[in-house]
Parts: sequence; C-alpha cells; structure tokens
Amino acid sequence: MASKLVQLITSPDPAVRNQSLDAVCRAASVTELLAECAELEAFRHRSENLYERVRALLFLYAIHRFHLPLKPGVHARTLISFSGYTHLLQRRFEEAVATFLKAQAADGPSDPISSALAVAYYRLALQTLADQVRRSVRSVRGNQWMFRMGHPADHPLRIRPELLKRSDEDGTYPILRERTPVRMDLTHCGWSDIFFLGMDYPEGAKVLNISIDLGVHGRDSATRPPVETYLRVLDEPVLRLTSVDLGATADITNLADVFDFAKDYLGLLKAAVIAGGIVPPGVEGSGQSLADLLARVVGPGRGLELVSSVNGIPKGSRLAVSTNLLASMISLCMRATGQASSLHGSLQEDERRLVLARAILGEWLGGSGGGWQDSGGVWPGMKLIEGVLAAEGDPEFGVSRGRLMPQHRILTHEDASPALRQKLQDSLVLVHGGMAQNVGPILEMVSEKYLLRSEAEWKARLSMLAILDEILAGLKREDVAALGAATTRNFFGPIQTIIPWATNLFTETIINRVKTDFGKDFLGFWMLGGMSGGGMGFIFDPAKKAAGQTRLQEVMTQTKREFEYSLPFAMEPVVYDFAINEKGTWADLLHGKSALLPPGYYALIMPPLLRQDARALPPLHRAEMDKFAAACRSKPELRGMVQTLFDRLLPRLKTDDTSDESLPALLERYGFDRAQHEQVRADLKSGRIGLAQNRLSVSTQIQDVTEGDVFDATHELPKKYLEAGMAALAAGEVAVVTLAAGAGSRWTQGAGTVKALHPFCKFGGRHRTFLEVHLAKSRRISRIGGVPLPHVITTSYISHQPTEAFLAREKFYGYSGPLVLSEGRTVGLRLIPMERDLRFSWEEMPQQMLDEQQQKVRDSLRHALIGWAQQAGEAGDYTDNVPLQCLHPVGHWFEIPNLLRNGTLARLLEQRPNLKHLMLHNIDTVGADVDPAMLGLHITLGGGLSFEVITRRIEDRGGGLARVNGQPRIVEGLAMPREEEEFALSYYNSMTSWINLDRLLAVFQLTRADLADAGKVADAVRALAARMPTYITLKDVKKRWGHGQEDVYPVAQFEKLWSDMTVLPEMNSRFIVVPRRRGQQLKDQSQLDGWLRDGSAAHVESLCEW
Amino acid sequence: MAGIGFLCFATVKIRKAVITAAGRDQRRLPLQSLVDRDGQSKSALTILLEEVLHAGIEEIGLVIAPGDQAAFAAAAGPHVNRIQFIEQSKPLGYGHAVLCAHPFTGSEPFLLLVGDHLYVANGQKSCARQLIDIASAEACAVSAVQPTHESLLPHYGAVGARRLVGQAGLYQVDRVLEKPTPTVAEQKLIVPGLRAGHYLCFFGMHALTPGVMDILKDMVGQGGGAHLSDALAKTAGSERYLACELQGRRYDIGVKYGLLTAQLALALNGQDRDEVLTQLVELLAQTSRGVA
Repeated sequence: MASKLVQLITSPDPAVRNQSLDAVCRAASVTELLAECAELEAFRHRSENLYERVRALLFLYAIHRFHLPLKPGVHARTLISFSGYTHLLQRRFEEAVATFLKAQAADGPSDPISSALAVAYYRLALQTLADQVRRSVRSVRGNQWMFRMGHPADHPLRIRPELLKRSDEDGTYPILRERTPVRMDLTHCGWSDIFFLGMDYPEGAKVLNISIDLGVHGRDSATRPPVETYLRVLDEPVLRLTSVDLGATADITNLADVFDFAKDYLGLLKAAVIAGGIVPPGVEGSGQSLADLLARVVGPGRGLELVSSVNGIPKGSRLAVSTNLLASMISLCMRATGQASSLHGSLQEDERRLVLARAILGEWLGGSGGGWQDSGGVWPGMKLIEGVLAAEGDPEFGVSRGRLMPQHRILTHEDASPALRQKLQDSLVLVHGGMAQNVGPILEMVSEKYLLRSEAEWKARLSMLAILDEILAGLKREDVAALGAATTRNFFGPIQTIIPWATNLFTETIINRVKTDFGKDFLGFWMLGGMSGGGMGFIFDPAKKAAGQTRLQEVMTQTKREFEYSLPFAMEPVVYDFAINEKGTWADLLHGKSALLPPGYYALIMPPLLRQDARALPPLHRAEMDKFAAACRSKPELRGMVQTLFDRLLPRLKTDDTSDESLPALLERYGFDRAQHEQVRADLKSGRIGLAQNRLSVSTQIQDVTEGDVFDATHELPKKYLEAGMAALAAGEVAVVTLAAGAGSRWTQGAGTVKALHPFCKFGGRHRTFLEVHLAKSRRISRIGGVPLPHVITTSYISHQPTEAFLAREKFYGYSGPLVLSEGRTVGLRLIPMERDLRFSWEEMPQQMLDEQQQKVRDSLRHALIGWAQQAGEAGDYTDNVPLQCLHPVGHWFEIPNLLRNGTLARLLEQRPNLKHLMLHNIDTVGADVDPAMLGLHITLGGGLSFEVITRRIEDRGGGLARVNGQPRIVEGLAMPREEEEFALSYYNSMTSWINLDRLLAVFQLTRADLADAGKVADAVRALAARMPTYITLKDVKKRWGHGQEDVYPVAQFEKLWSDMTVLPEMNSRFIVVPRRRGQQLKDQSQLDGWLRDGSAAHVESLCEW
Repeated sequence: MAGIGFLCFATVKIRKAVITAAGRDQRRLPLQSLVDRDGQSKSALTILLEEVLHAGIEEIGLVIAPGDQAAFAAAAGPHVNRIQFIEQSKPLGYGHAVLCAHPFTGSEPFLLLVGDHLYVANGQKSCARQLIDIASAEACAVSAVQPTHESLLPHYGAVGARRLVGQAGLYQVDRVLEKPTPTVAEQKLIVPGLRAGHYLCFFGMHALTPGVMDILKDMVGQGGGAHLSDALAKTAGSERYLACELQGRRYDIGVKYGLLTAQLALALNGQDRDEVLTQLVELLAQTSRGVA
C-alpha cells in the first residue's frame, strides 16, 4: 500500500504537502494507522532529507499521542519497559523507539506504549532539528576556524594596536564602547523566526523588525540605546567581566572558568567572549592557560576587561535585550581584534551578518536560544527580515529548503516615510506587564504545529502572511490606524489559533480596560515575542499617547494587583519611552578623560578599591580613580555618585522587620511548630531523614496489583450504581473537598502563586481558573442531584487570603451551594538543603539528560547550588527571600485533619446532618466530579476510602497502586525502594479519593460528637500523624531581584501525604480504575496544549455549567 | 592598464629587482651571517642578491632606511656594484617603501622581494627564477604564494583565488587582504583544494607590472599610508594577476628562531648536508641523555 502520509511529506505539490495529518488519521482504522506508522518508520530511516525525516518523526508522534490511543481495540493497560525509559532519559532516542516498538509488536498497540513512543519520537524530532541548527551555525563561514583552534599558540587574532596606545595624559588605555539598540517586532508573524521554520519554509519566514532606543517612562529623561558594552586592555593577564545590571564582576584566570556559564551571573558575557573569537570554542577542555592565550592576543602580561550595561531595562521585556547585549559584545570583540574593519561607527552588512551568526552560536553555548530576528538591533531603523531559499554553495543546500541565516532588507523612506516613522513613535506605547514567562514550550509547540500542518493552524499561518503585507502597505500609506487594526486582528485571530496560550487573562483585562477608557482613540494592541503579559504594545491616537502612557501604568498596576496571586509576576509593570534608532549598533573609541565606563561600574568597583591603601594600588588603578574623581566633579551624569559610593561604603544598618508580614510574624500567625521544626532539622542533619530515607526498605516486596484488587470503572457503570449515587446526592450525603493549599511549584516553577486561582484555559469563550472549573462541575451535579452540593476548598498560609479575596471579587462565581474555605493550621519553614540530598536528587535519581550544551550549563548551575548550600549552612533555616517564599505547606495529609481541627466539618455537619461521604481531589485533577455513578460505586464497595487510579502513561511518574508485601496500597514515588519497580505497576494515583466520613472519624478514634471538642480532635490528629511517614522533598523556589531577575533555589521541606492513608488496614481502602480524562492531573503548563488537542479539555467542559 | 601589464611582460624581460629592507624591525636582518648552500659564510643580503642575480636580474634597487647604506654595502660583498641604494626618508609603510623604487623601476616590470626572507628551492631552479619564468610565460603580474595555516595569518598578506584549469600551482587572484583575520579569510579567501584552515599567503616575492607603481602612487597621493596588499587588490581588479606556488620554501628570518630555521634549511639543502645532519643527530642524542 502506498503510504498516504509519506506522500504528504514527499509530494512536490504544495496542495498535497500542506494537507493536515489529522484529516487523514481521523478516518483510519487501527490497522491502517499501524501500517502507516510502519511506512513512516521505514521512510524516516531511508530518507536523507532532514525535513522529511523530522516531519515523519512528528507524524509518528502525533499518531501515537492523538490518534491511536482513541481508536477502539487499543489496550489501556500495559507495562512500559524501564530500559526504554532509561534510553529516553539518556537521550538515546533511537534505542528507546526500538524498545517500545518491540513491546508494541509483542503485546499489540496500547495507550501506555503509544505514550512512550510519542515522547520518544517528539524528542528525537526536536533533537534532530537542534543538531542541524548547531551544524549550520558551525558551518557558517567566519565561524568555522573557531572550532578548529585548540591551542593558544595557534590563536590567529591580535588586538588592534589602537587599543594598546595609552593616554598621554594619564597612562590609561582607551575604551572601545559599543551602543546597541534593542529590537521590536512590529507584526508578530507567527514566531516565523524560529530557525526550524525558516529553514523549511523560508517563504513564510518574515518579520518586520525595528531597532529602538528605550527609556523607562517617568524614570529616564531621554531615550538611548539600552545596550552598552565596553572593552579595554588591562595590565594583568586576566579576563575581567562585569555586568553592571546584575552587580556581578569576576576576574577570570582559568580557561575552564570561561566555559563555566552558570558559575556566576556572567554567563552571557562569557558566551560573547567565546563567540567573539577571543576565547574560541575550540579551546574548551584543552587544559591550556588563559594567560598564554591572552598573551598571544593582547600581549604578554596583558588581559582584557569587558563591561556590559542595559541601563536598568527589566528582564523579559520581549525586546531581545539579552540577545542584543550578546550581539553588541560580540561586535565589540570582533572590532577589537580586527574581525570587523572599523573601531568607529556602524558595521558593514557582512559584519552584521557575522555578528548574527555569532550571536546564534553564543545563545547555543549559553544553553538558550531565541529566533533569528533577535539580533535585529545590530541593523539600523526598520527592516524586513526574511527567510532565504538555500542555494548551491550554501552549507544548507540539499539538507534543508532554507538557509539558517535570513536576509535583512532595510526599509527605505519610500517603504516607510520619515512622517510615518514619527507617527509610529507618537502612537505606540510600549510596556512590560511584569509577568514572568517561559516561552520555551511555546516555541516547541509552534515548530510541532508547523510541521504537522494542522488544519486551523496552517490556515492561520497563511493568513498572518497576508496581515504582514497589509501592515507593510499601511506603512507605505502612513496609516497607523490600519496598522493597529491589523496587529489586533493578528493577536486575537491567527496568533491564538496557533498558540492559545499566547494570551492570558491579565493581558485581555488590560486590553479591555484600555479599550473602555479610550474608545476610538485606542487603535490597537500587539504582542511582542513568544507570549503576552510581558512586553506588549498599545497603539493610540497620537493626541492621546501621553494620556495612554499614564493610564496604562495605572491599569497595569491595578490589574497586576488583582492577579498577583493567580499569575506569576516577576516585577512591577513598566511603561517605556522609545524612539526608532536609525543607526543600528555603533562604536566609539574613547581616549583619556573621556574613556569612562558606565556609572554603575564605578559603584561596583570603587568601594573595594577605596578600602585599600592607595599606595598599594597598581598605577593603572590609581590613574583610573583619579580620572573617575575628576569626572564626578565635572560631569552631570555622574552627579549623585558620591552619595552612592558613600552608601556602599557605609551601608545602612539592617533592622529586623517587625511588620505583620515579617517572617516571625507569619510563623506565629500560621501556627508554626518550632519544636517539630528543630526535630526535623536534627533528623535531617544526622541523616535519619532525607531523600534516601524516604524510601521503603529494599527488602519490601513491590508487585503489581491483580485483577481482583481493583474495580474497573473505565466503561459505563451498571445502572444500580447510578441510582445509589443519585439517591445519596438527593439526600445530601456528599460534599466535595478541593485541595488548594499547595503552591503549585511545578506549575509556575516556584513562583509562589496560588494554582487554584490561575486562569489556565479558556472555556465558553473566557479564561477560567481551576477553582471556577471545579465549581462549575459542582453546579452541574447540584442541578442533576437536585440538592446544592457543598464544596470545601482547603487553603494554606499562601492561598487562604488570596482565595478568599478572589472569590469575594468574583462573587463566589455565583455558586449557590455551601462554599467553604478550610484554612490550614500547619506551616513549615523551608530549610537549606543538605548537599547529600542535592547529590541524591541530581546524581542518584534517574535524570533527564539535556541537550549537550544545556546539560553543561545545568551541571555548572548545580555545582554552584551545592556550593551555595554549603556556604549558607546545610539544614539551616531558609530565610533569604520574601517571607512567604520561606514558608511551606506540609503536605496534603494535613488538610483533612484540618477540616476536623478548624471546625469546618463540624459546621458542615450542622448544615448537612446527612453528610456521609466526601470526594477529595487535587486542584489540578480537572476531570474529577461527583459523578453519581462513581459515588454509587464508592458507597456500594463499602470501603472507608475509595481511591481512583488511572492506567499509567510514560509521563505518570511518582509511584502508583501496588501490592506492598502483599497488601494493595498507594505508594508514593518518593517511597519506591527502586526506581525500576514503578515501571512494573499498571496504575497511577489520580489523588481523587472518596471518603466514608464515619469510617474516617473512627480511624481517628473520634465520633461526630467529638468534633466539638477541640482538644480531643487535636490529640487524635497528632496521634494519627505520628503513624504517617514523613517525607523530605526538594522544591524549587524563586527568588526575585534586580529588574525582573529570578533565581531558582532548591530548598528542603517535609510533607505527609494523603495517599499513605491506604496503608492503614482499618481504612479498608478500595481502588477504582477510572478513565484517563477523569483522573489525569495538570501539573505542568506544557501539558496544556496536548490536553486541549486530545479532547480532554472538551470533556472537562462537558462536565461544567458556567 | 591591462594592456600595459600584458605588453610589459610580453615584450620586455624582467631585468630589475627591488629588495625592501627599510622596515624598523628588519633593518639589521639582511646583515646577519649564514653559511650558504655552497658552504661559504655570507650575509643574508648576499644570499638574497645571489638568488636574484642567478635568476637573470641585472639591476637591483635596495630600499633602505636613511643612514644604513654603508652597512648594507659592506654586507653586499662582491655584488655591491649591482645595487642602487634607495632611501625611504620616512617610515610610511611598506607600500611607500616600494613606491620609493619607482624612479629605479621606471616603466619596466620588476621583481619585488622582502629583505627579511630567504628562499630555498626544492630543485636546481631558484625560486626567483621560477617566478620570473611564470610571469614571462603568463605575461602578467604574478605573486608567489604558499598555503599557510590560519594561525600565521597575522603575519602575511593573503589572496582569494581560483585555480587555473590544467596549470598546477597557478591561480587567478580575485582579492588580496593584508593580515586578514580567519573570520574574514573564511568568508573571502577560501581557495578550493587547500586543506581546511589554510590560505594562500604571500611568499615575499612578486613579479609586478609598472601599473602597480601607478596604483601605489595614487594611493600615497590620496594621503595616509599605502599598503602593497591594497595596491595588489586593485591590480586584481584592473589587470590579469596570478598567484603561483613555487617549488621551494620561504624562511622569515625576522621571527623567533627564524634565522636558525633558515640556516638549517640552507645547510640541509647544500653540500654540507651530511655533516650538519650528523651534528644534529649527535646534538639530539646528547640532549636526550641530558634529559634522561
């Protein structure tokens, strides 16, 4: 059979090649799909064309992720081999695919094996693309030699003699300064500057990119190129790197340290020194001397100093500040060593292109990566950047359709007149909304959707090209209003069709408020970069721009306040002033008195020099101090430096914060148990508890459960259960408990927001929070049951007050049943982790290896974090953060006892004396509802606890349902004696459980009447808690500083977990297998797209009534 | 201009050579003594003079710094009468030094050599002779080149060129850059057939047309320094200009151990080869024992 899907890949006819995979797969049977998979698998091995291979891989991924599992006849339950999983972790993707295909051939198609194959194919596809980009970057002419050079004696670069000529006045060396604008993407042409896209579809890779100067509105008196970089010769054989904005400086004397990117905050500068050719990538790991290398380039005994400054422009501006900083510094290094011809003024076109190629290389070295338009600030003014078809002679020819490097066409005054440029500046308001964003997953999604040619997304992409043409025509006509209309249509249309997650409630609220305030004078919105919420643009009638700037600051600040517990924010919102920069990157050679570094540099460098005996300082340092002192007296821009230095030299005494929000006050308020904390610390230090000690003894027998241990509820349940459930509902015998006390660490990488309040997805045309979704399901059940369903939301120190305020503001989402918050009564104080636990987590536990360079950066970061733990004191209190980030919830086991202790259950029982059952579920198990048939099943099974489990997919890590020494129970991943044993378990814990209230009280040795006796309840809880295991876990916590900077630290905390209740024989636990759509949890935002596409979101919506 | 260049070689043989020795760092180098292939002790200048005289050159213009004539005359030994001393009054760069010889070369083509290099041919035919023969046969300007590793680019001018079909070692020059970085060289000076990281760098010996002098004159007239490489780059754009690989090696006596290497090369190619080899082996053996 000729494969239809292979034809889709190979056909020369665009009408066939651009057909959607989904359309073909939808109608195919299992047998047909498997046959197509076999053809695709054979095709990808035999094809020599990169993009054919990658497209085949993504087709295979999509079939296994979205199509095959839905077909009748595909098994739901099979075990995934641990060896295949290990191959995946080690990035041996081909071996993983082979292992999983063998399992599929032996056992037939199944949901778990398809999940594993989907992951393996997806990662292999992305790895193949990334490898090609890396190869292309290395093969760019002008870059190749840097990979060949492996010894300082072979270094072919020499510093320009002008930089060695000391000043006659004071003997200091001249300073080469580069000033570089940042870039603004005016059109947002569907992320088409992603390398993979441009290399396959150069015709569709187009961006209108503008170089701009910036100032923070209200702070800076004028706009200027935000990026400034400096280079000068030193009389010491060191590489001195200083980032003024990050307040970091280092003297590097060891070659290996140049390649240690995460050791300090100077990774970007190091990447620039490497990509700039001064320390070429070829010398990495050579064991040679940095001094020898510098001697060769700069002269014996000499070194180089590089300084960067971005003038306080916040991180995450979506204006590619960091890429332009990298490009600026690369340009500086190239000029200084004769790789660019001029020490003054702008670069030539071929030099700019090389800077772009080197910036791509630098980003790869630093383990990051943006698109090819990001170095746009190097070019002047407005330009159209487009993909280019690879031609003979290009390294990409025969490998990919397009070149790695795009071409830049600088718009002339005919394309965009001076009047239009002025109009643009008078109309656009650039802002940073303050949101912290991770655009990495978005860029992967874009590549995937492009390569799959999904119907709606492909149409959207084509329509974006038409919008770009419309914008270009608008520019020609000097019609800014048309531009605004087009960018707005782009944002609400194609952009969100391709990536629904590009928008969020914060952004849309701001747009609506501005629209309301300004009416017709608000001409449009456009999104900068990967997603909205950070860098954004608002277009106003020129007469209203000033008012727009003022109002936007107010609106953003107010909206941020409303959402600050729902969405992750890195900083306060900012409004910018901007101007089009018509020069591009620009260099000057500064001599004598004018050869000054930025003021922030001196604030950083001078205090330690001032503390030394002036006579002991080298002459060059003394000359530098004299020059700086003279400049402070005469230059207005250095006004205030004396005070700055004074404050640095004599810092203000720190006083303990005694406000309500101080850490001691919070600990007091939330019932911190100091004695227990000290015990945990002592146990942690002595090694009695720790990550390794979480595990059950190695002699524990872990086996998969048998058929009789579970009840299969994946198919429609018999009517009797429905009837029993309906009766219980009508009698008011059930309530829902939603666990919403946690910080959702994985959801926002430790940003400390409240996951329950995160407006994570659009349902019914609006963004909905997790909480609203859960209440919408309860509303529907209330209607079906005829009795309003009581809904309890458990909260903690971090989530209680925000949830209470949020619900009040949202008028409790109109929920008519009893809606109660159960406030947490226990809080922990995070601890600095033990080195032992960090090493256990990073070295002993199976780890997902990253791509080569990213792995290097991660290893370097981990080394630095171990150093931090040792220096800060292992098992010490973690207090170096805002107070709320120092506390931690102590695990969801405590949340049910809290219902008893805080009186919530007693009050509920007063209202609903018939209450007999609780359905407890996690905030992220969005498919769970009080399904009457499930309720009836729970009642009929008669256990104290009915735990819902789902069949395991490869992403379901963290324990599961097992027979432990012959007894069925839920085992947490932390407690697994051996990693591989988890792969012998068929079922994964959904964390949804049905609780028989009276049986639970009995386990606590309480009765309903005892709930009024607080003392007795407290004793009962304490007694049962003592029987529950305590786990030590490592959690990521963000620390914010500077202008939108974030560091993530691993901290230690302890937890007790609800699933361990299944250990207690007196709970008489039952286990029910439920459909995946009911039981899957949303732990990571990168799951959302697949969840939306595989029909899970639609299923959830069908359970809701808004 | 192309016509003039063509005519020059087509009708006139190369009779004159220009040797530059006025550079600040190279003024003493031609005065160093070495033992030539014939076992005679001579100055480097004499060896160089004999190289060109044996190639059929009749007159030699030696460009020197003011005040150096006596020393160079002494070093020239028996060939002093063949030399016309030309003073470069100010150190205005290599191109200017060459231009100083313009009155000497007049409207004739000429051989240009740098005074701090020595040449050792692989066969009987000297390097200078090989170059003159090629220039005469091709009737155009020709620069001798040598494939050179990119780490040495800071020392040389380099050419971007295409191989001439059917003529081994001959190239049509498209571009000339003075001391390029490998970054630039990779983009502009790639020559098919050379090993990775190797470029055609100047050998220090050129057979040039009088048109080069005209270009240098224009460049100096416009102010600023004049680089020979820039003039040659212009030559490539205005007349046929070739590069050729010679059967021989150049030795830069101005670099570290350059004089020693040149001496060894001369000795190992000369009549005392066996004796020098024996001494080298003994030296190696003794050094090895010393190390042991």
